Amino acid sequence: MEVNEQISAQRQLLKTRPHNRMKVKPLTKSAFVTRITLFSLAVLTIYAFFTFDYKDIDFVDAVLLTIANLKAMFFEPHLKHFTFSHAFYQVFVTLGLAFLTTLFGAVIAVFLGLFAAENLSSKWISTMIKGFVAFIRAVPTVLWVLIFAVAAGLGSVAAVIGMTFHSVSYLIKAYSESFEELDKGVIEALQASGASFWQIVFQAVIPSSITYMISWTFLRFEINFAVAVAMGAAAGAGGIGFDMFMASGFYLDIREIGAITYFILAVAILLEVFATKVKRKLKVNA
Amino acid sequence: MTALLQVNNLTKQFGHDAKALSDVGFSVQEGEFVSIIGPSGAGKSTLLRCINRMVDATSGEIMFDGVNVLNLKKKELKKVRTKIGMIFQHYNLVNRLTVIENTLHGKLGCKSTLSGVLGLYNREEKEQAMHILGLLGLDDFIYKRADQLSGGQKQRVGISRALIQNPRMLLCDEPIASLDPNSAKVIMDYLKNISVNMGITVLVNLHQVDVALKYSDKIIGINGGQVVFIGAPKHMTRADIQRIYGSEAEDLIFDAGGIHAG
Repeated sequence: MEVNEQISAQRQLLKTRPHNRMKVKPLTKSAFVTRITLFSLAVLTIYAFFTFDYKDIDFVDAVLLTIANLKAMFFEPHLKHFTFSHAFYQVFVTLGLAFLTTLFGAVIAVFLGLFAAENLSSKWISTMIKGFVAFIRAVPTVLWVLIFAVAAGLGSVAAVIGMTFHSVSYLIKAYSESFEELDKGVIEALQASGASFWQIVFQAVIPSSITYMISWTFLRFEINFAVAVAMGAAAGAGGIGFDMFMASGFYLDIREIGAITYFILAVAILLEVFATKVKRKLKVNA
Repeated sequence: MTALLQVNNLTKQFGHDAKALSDVGFSVQEGEFVSIIGPSGAGKSTLLRCINRMVDATSGEIMFDGVNVLNLKKKELKKVRTKIGMIFQHYNLVNRLTVIENTLHGKLGCKSTLSGVLGLYNREEKEQAMHILGLLGLDDFIYKRADQLSGGQKQRVGISRALIQNPRMLLCDEPIASLDPNSAKVIMDYLKNISVNMGITVLVNLHQVDVALKYSDKIIGINGGQVVFIGAPKHMTRADIQRIYGSEAEDLIFDAGGIHAG
């Protein structure tokens, strides 16, 4: 009896189904806004290409010249004003800058991250730290370095302080979020046995989130390496970035820029390979 | 026998009008096995957490071993907490650490902050941990990570962590609610054993009336934050169960047979 009723109910449903096209995605307000935005951007782009001020540049010529430049840069690299060992040394200076700022950032961020994690501190303190840190993150690293350069003068000191500042805010967010992953019950269990805050932190919180912390820190190290290259040029922080700045802005030697780019690329690839290996190893243990 | 735990007029209020507990009072003797039963949301967990102040009661009195827990300062509270072990429905172990590390966590309360932070345990403590793990049949799992264990095994580690505190009392918050019937029986047997052989008072929150009837020396029934039944399992009648569980009791016929059997 019941089965029959169900079947007839299903038939009813089939009958009343409309014959027009069925939509998988309903046209909601947000979908509509997205479409309008994409469409207007496309129109603007096409319009822009017709109204650019091209001066007297011939498009084909420009492309060919650019390709020639790139060819000179990457297929005929040479070192004229620096020796190979000098460049090698400068890469290590840049790596050192990245390492130092990441280390400073990590140490400070662990402690502030604990207070920024909602399950370990009060809601009020957590929101305050997170808000402040979001503000710091919103300003690019380069700007922070230049801001600190007012007090410390352009150079490595300003670069270290500024980059540390931004790394701290980045890592606080990353760390506090991995701390928050820990089940509240675990903290409760240790509290109930009379353990103190720092005991809980080092016996439960950090062991539980150590893999996340390492992988976030490594990601920040990679970012800091890229920033450190830029800082060498923009803030006179030294390292390979400064050499690149000299090669381009002072010696106007495009082939030397190519050589330095290869140096940076090689280091970046090495870091990436190393990071992948470390992460895979952590995953095995996770 | 003196009362180890005496709860008087305990009231817990969340917000303005939501009363989780109102005027709760009961006493627990040393070495007794007491079950607290009641429908979900009746205040069982809150009651248990008020006893070791994981939740602060609004008013009332909780005398544990001669001291009023509600008046304690932070430091004295920690000391009382070391004497009360707690076991949880979701075990609450640190998954990435080994069984023995998790067990030794029970000792943190009576260690200095620094040695606790560094995880330095002395030989005696380690031997005690091994001994307790042996008692709970976990010899083969000492160096396994907690997340590699089954639910029943995890709960046994939870019990080990509580036992290593050398507690006077165990608070168990639905210890078998996430376990299969077999593991549940094993865990309840261990708890009963602990209460009988070690003389440790055990206070258990339970969902299953039949389990409460089978294991307890005393049952406390709670409904809507109020104690509606206190007594030995053999004094519990169908009407009592109906009072504890309200109208849902109609569906609880399965345990009616067990009431006077035990």
